[in-house]
Amino acid sequence: MTATLRIAVAEPSIILRNGVISVLQQLPGLNIHVVEIRDPEQLAVSLCNHRPDILLVNPASPGLPPVHRLRQQTGCREMRCVALLTALTDRESLKAFDESISLYDSVEQIAGKLQRLVSAPAARREPAGTLSVREREIVVCIVKGMTNKQIAEKLFISTHTVITHRRNVAAKLQIHSPAGLTIYAIVNRLVDLDDIRGTIPDGGERPGGREL
Amino acid sequence: MENLYKLGKYKETDRMCDLICDHYPMLLVMSRFGIPLGFGDKSIREVCAENGVDTDTFLAVVNLLREEGTKADTGNVSVESLISYLRNSHDYFLEFRLPAIRRKLIEAIDCRRSDVSFAVLRFFDEYAGEVRKHMQYEEETVFPYVESLLTGRTDPAYNIGIFRKRHDQVEARLSELKNILIKYYPAESSNELNGVLFDIFSCQRDLASHNYVEDHLFVPSIVRLERERGGRS
Repeated sequence: MTATLRIAVAEPSIILRNGVISVLQQLPGLNIHVVEIRDPEQLAVSLCNHRPDILLVNPASPGLPPVHRLRQQTGCREMRCVALLTALTDRESLKAFDESISLYDSVEQIAGKLQRLVSAPAARREPAGTLSVREREIVVCIVKGMTNKQIAEKLFISTHTVITHRRNVAAKLQIHSPAGLTIYAIVNRLVDLDDIRGTIPDGGERPGGREL
Repeated sequence: MENLYKLGKYKETDRMCDLICDHYPMLLVMSRFGIPLGFGDKSIREVCAENGVDTDTFLAVVNLLREEGTKADTGNVSVESLISYLRNSHDYFLEFRLPAIRRKLIEAIDCRRSDVSFAVLRFFDEYAGEVRKHMQYEEETVFPYVESLLTGRTDPAYNIGIFRKRHDQVEARLSELKNILIKYYPAESSNELNGVLFDIFSCQRDLASHNYVEDHLFVPSIVRLERERGGRS
């Protein structure tokens, strides 16, 4: 399963907006969550709330601030902006955008453009799901309930490095909580239940044990 | 909500049965407002009136959920009615939906691999505990604040902005459980496991919808109320 790609579609025309959204939802290989923005006045507020990865916006929208200012205002610095071209648009005004999609693009062209936009940082990542030896050690420590400081001392690394490893683990596995990592660690035989009994808050009794 | 159906807002003169048949998730909305089935061909207004439900509030929730992304019209919303809806919604998740998923989870996960089953259940119980805490805060802090605001008392120490800031996405961890089961749970696919996964997918969406109503209808209504009562907005 691929990570969710959050795309905001800012287009006041319901016909265009629904058309674009229905195409986005059919794109193969991309798990897309769409945020609809109908009212141009709500653009900045919606972006602040939803923090999309990609903004798809008509460059001719009335009152649209320059792209760089929009990123600044909303704090979405990583957000990529794609121009939705519904009419002839002069090239100069498109320079600030990362990409543009025309009403006449095919599904494959649109998928290709979006994939190129998001694959730049993703390419650096290792294949999801495979942890390095060090990352496995970190997982074991986390599920045993150790703090970042304790993990750092045990493995002779800085807490900063521990935090970086934790972030990478969360990104690779798409698991963010210690309880979730516990399941992963048991399934992959990194620990067994006896190792982690001490971390169970109610003193080791199974939650709903009688039902097991 | 998915866009499967008729476009445009529902009006009070539309038939209740058309709404429910076109948008089956609205069954949940209906029952949280305390409206029973068996309403024949009556209009939304008639069915609401018979059951003592504020029609405008009902329609505001329905139309907001159908068209997420629209700005909710808080003008005619009855705050009392909305709070009662949210309370019933909390009950539904805490007393019915999550316990049902837990039961199915126990049936679905292989109890011979008891370590994994134990870890999965622990994860679920921690999650359910978080949802409970999240909803309890609303029941014990936010709703009483709003109810006293309705009787004209303002509270200098609290305003709805505090809630708006700390209101988190309670469905995120359910999506994590789903990922864990799909990607890492080492079991043959079974009807039981598929069943509980379907439930988790749909519960996740229902929780998101519940939150959406709180963020986009409840909070704006209270901001408005605060402004009217001369409190802070």
